[in-house]
Amino acid sequence: MVSVVGAAITEFGRRIDGTSFRDWAAEAFESALSMSGLERADIDLLACSSESDFFTLQLNPASVIAGDLGLAGAATFRVEGGGASGQLAVHAAANAVKSGQARHAAVVGFDPSASQLPAATVKELYGYSFDAWTDGMTGASATALYALSARFFMQAHGLDEGHLAKVTIQNRANALGNPGAHLGRRHSEDEIFDSPVIAAPYRRLHCSPLSDGAAAIVLSANDFVPGSRRSAPRIRGIGAASDKPRLGARNSPGQFRAKSAAMRKACESAGLEPGDIGLAEVYDAYAGAQLQAIEALGLTDDISCDSLDGAFGPGGRLPVNLSGGLMGQGAPAGAIGVGQTAACALFLEGRHRSSLQPAMPPRFALADTHGGVCTTAAVTILERGSQ
Amino acid sequence: MIFELDLPLEYRLEAGWLARWAEALMQGTALARSCRQCGRASFVPERICDCGCSEGSWKPVPGKATVIRRTSGLDGNFGFVRFDGADTCAVVALEGFEAGDRRGELIAPAGSLPKLIIRPIHEEVPD
Ligand SMILES: [Zn+2]
Repeated sequence: MVSVVGAAITEFGRRIDGTSFRDWAAEAFESALSMSGLERADIDLLACSSESDFFTLQLNPASVIAGDLGLAGAATFRVEGGGASGQLAVHAAANAVKSGQARHAAVVGFDPSASQLPAATVKELYGYSFDAWTDGMTGASATALYALSARFFMQAHGLDEGHLAKVTIQNRANALGNPGAHLGRRHSEDEIFDSPVIAAPYRRLHCSPLSDGAAAIVLSANDFVPGSRRSAPRIRGIGAASDKPRLGARNSPGQFRAKSAAMRKACESAGLEPGDIGLAEVYDAYAGAQLQAIEALGLTDDISCDSLDGAFGPGGRLPVNLSGGLMGQGAPAGAIGVGQTAACALFLEGRHRSSLQPAMPPRFALADTHGGVCTTAAVTILERGSQ
Repeated sequence: MIFELDLPLEYRLEAGWLARWAEALMQGTALARSCRQCGRASFVPERICDCGCSEGSWKPVPGKATVIRRTSGLDGNFGFVRFDGADTCAVVALEGFEAGDRRGELIAPAGSLPKLIIRPIHEEVPD
């Protein structure tokens, strides 16, 4: 077993406050380290995640971050898997701890997705994160590809603009309770329906933003968990899988099959069923993607009814994206998956700064991340520590 | 404190095993990849067929496609289409499509990149 002894998420947003991604990485790490009760010298492995050197203009960023964090001597590397980078870094670090390679590992995810390059440049670069030779060169944007996938899914499940609006309204409202969120808002349906169409069915208010920020966790092997952190949450299961990168090559372009496979593996390794999950941070790059994710993860039998009935709201059967998710909390690419896992750990421990922190945290939480149009999927199941 | 930097990147992108396909596309024609073992034709080409076979040949297909789903908005117009003679689908840019248009034909892209672009043709959708 691997325990999450430290977890921290910086403010997400467009940071124009004189700080850089190296500051955010340090802020997240120092805060997670302080929570863990460990010393800097205890950390023997650092896994970094950032999606693109284009964003940071820092090749081999793990070496520089390790230097900034005073971790010279530790094993360091960067993990990249598109939007899933952060969660894959969590997996790499957890596996290193589990195997005995490291007693204590830090995972630090970061990206300056909002402030270092013009938004149009970031959008063009993101276009090359699908198949650069086809979708990329043809100029199909991420939003257009997600929209085509959503069209299939929405038709198969009888979903309409109302279902999409519900996701935006919920996630942005959840973000209002999270002081570190990029886009806490109280949106009306009309406001959403009036926002410009980017790639139908997606309007601007169905999309997650480009954000800056960082997140960090500290993992400890069971035998080495500091005395003060015996009740820390544990990683109960992990799973990762992939799908064909081009939608046209998939038999079911509306289904996130890689996510279903990753969830199956995570449940198998945890000895759990999807129904055991009591709280989930889900990869809502777009409003429809959240619905596709919930369905693919096996968290619903009827996505249409459940989403309209508030099953995934803060008071519902399965609260989803209490943090605000990518749409509300924000989306600094490399930090997303680390932030989701950190959020799950903090919620399970009753320590999340959100006003939506459940008074009685559930036993199991799920962090769900993907890259591409769910081409690279990675999920982590966490368990509340024993008191 | 902000420091500004312009970094032009002049790539020379080698198409590798996609060269025949990309070359055809530049001329507005379509080459599908036909599996030697099961005959499945992929367009966009798949290097390894679903049946597991890695050997195939390039097969000219008509370059006409049926639009299955489409999206449009500020990001442009794109379709999820199936090309005649292909067993897989592809995402293409739709140029000059009206609401009711369902059929299109590949055109040679302007510029230097092998883009997948179709223009509408007015004929019945085949069965
Ligand atoms: Zn075959």
